[in-house]
Amino acid sequence: MTRPSPSRTSPPTLREIEAQLQAAILTGDDTVLAALADGAHASRDTLLGVYRQAYTARLIEVLMSDYPLLRSYVGDVVFRELAHSFIAAHPSRSQNVRWFGTPFPEFLKEQGSAAKHPALAEIAAIERSVSDAFDCIDAPVLGFDDLAAYPPEEWARLTFSLHPSVTFMPAATNAFHIWKALNEQETPPRGVCLPIPEHVVVWRYGATPKVRLMMEEEAMIGREARRGASFGTLCEMLAIYADPDSAPARAAGYLQAWLTNEMLTSAKVVARNRRAHLARRAAPSSSSA
Amino acid sequence: MTAAKVSKPKASLPSARPPYLGFGLGLRPQHYTDIIEGSPDVDWFEVISENYMVPGGQPLRMLDKIRARYPIVMHGVSLSIASTAPFNAQYLSDLKALAERIEPRFVSDHLCWTGVHGVNLHDLLPIPYTREALDHVVARIDHVQEYLQRPIAIENVSTYIQFAHSEMPEWEFISELTRRTGCWLVFDVNNGFVSAFNHGWDAQAFIEGIPADRVVQFHLAGHEHNMSHIIDTHDALVPDEVWDLYRAAVERFGPVSTIIERDDDIPPLADLVAELATARSIAEDMLPELRKRRAS
Repeated sequence: MTRPSPSRTSPPTLREIEAQLQAAILTGDDTVLAALADGAHASRDTLLGVYRQAYTARLIEVLMSDYPLLRSYVGDVVFRELAHSFIAAHPSRSQNVRWFGTPFPEFLKEQGSAAKHPALAEIAAIERSVSDAFDCIDAPVLGFDDLAAYPPEEWARLTFSLHPSVTFMPAATNAFHIWKALNEQETPPRGVCLPIPEHVVVWRYGATPKVRLMMEEEAMIGREARRGASFGTLCEMLAIYADPDSAPARAAGYLQAWLTNEMLTSAKVVARNRRAHLARRAAPSSSSA
Repeated sequence: MTAAKVSKPKASLPSARPPYLGFGLGLRPQHYTDIIEGSPDVDWFEVISENYMVPGGQPLRMLDKIRARYPIVMHGVSLSIASTAPFNAQYLSDLKALAERIEPRFVSDHLCWTGVHGVNLHDLLPIPYTREALDHVVARIDHVQEYLQRPIAIENVSTYIQFAHSEMPEWEFISELTRRTGCWLVFDVNNGFVSAFNHGWDAQAFIEGIPADRVVQFHLAGHEHNMSHIIDTHDALVPDEVWDLYRAAVERFGPVSTIIERDDDIPPLADLVAELATARSIAEDMLPELRKRRAS
């Protein structure tokens, strides 16, 4: 065992060693070398290099596994460059490596070369949402029978809880079409910005994540439904957005699609207005006083 | 180290040795269907805890199905038991929730740290084997065992560097850990081989140096030999020299639950089952009571 010549009398503490080794891996700082012994067959520099190389290699592998379609779209060389930049800018803050790559799509929006091709960040965002939908928290699925239990006069006041896996994503580029082609192992189109944004929705159907485009008005009322807007309000929004006469039918159509696609978890009837609702809640405490 | 500093295993924690489980495999998603639809000759499965510390969905559904038919052991990679950073409370809470959900035969992780200062390097990083580090890790194991309300098992990791100021060999450090905390030990035969080669230790000394009655599991795996050093890859067949060390481990430790642990280049399930049969055959040739136990 070759011992380095000590530069201090007391050995480094565990806290110091961990800080030095982490710095060696993250920044290339060599301070920790002074605390290392040579290996039986290799120098301490070589052996420290194993940890340095493994760090980047492992995290690139994680990103490749999380973003396989983006990797296939840009190719290995470009993907690795993007991954290297991300890893340098975003050391993992998550205990579970499952979430290490979560900020990657946002990073691509800002990162120099990727930012010039905005479809890349949007493809990555779709892939991220698919991963998140895959192991998203479980929730009940609202069925047609559940809704049929509500009398027609209460439908205007029905509100819905969306399945937690549902993610609405506006797309300024043709990222969805690129993602779809790659997913179906077809030749993807070139990335372009669209004159009118598209609306992508990702959710989990059974155990399987799904991705599709929504009409703008469907995405609009989907978001509002998530915020707690009642079915009556959604119909009014559709009537303002386009042909008012067909608004109820369009709303019913979208609702039917959400039910069929298992995008809803529950429904409930809200009070006629908030003031009345508060008054009813206040009543028991006043009477008990 | 003074006697006053030695903490005893907490009396409130179960002290019974985890049961002998036979010959198992690390559970990998590529094999879910084959396991659920077939009846592979596997006695139990070890899961990577973090793969199931997710909110819901397919991973947990598959695990629920498999645990209904096979004993499960939880094996973590992110506990960071030797870190000088504070514990991640959310991680511990998620770990406990998973253990309560799947009721594993035992819970294990590694003698290592994974990061400090809020950063996680997602690697199993080594520590100096000093009395200061020992006191620190003992306190952390005590904390985790108290929190989980169960003893944990600690595994030796493959190491590439060693610290000049270490005060004891790894096996002595591990022996003290188990003596002072009551934790169990997972002996990764491949890791023992890799570290011994890289540092010029005698792997047999490692086996002789840890207490036989605390080892509750063996891991078997392959590695990448670079002549000047070996890198633990867990992505290849168990090589002959690791099988030889396994024989020595069986001789010293007796019947111990064993798995083939493949982490990368995952082959078809049948290939791993065949490799597992080799482990079974070696152990049953050396310990005929195991063959009788299986036959009964």
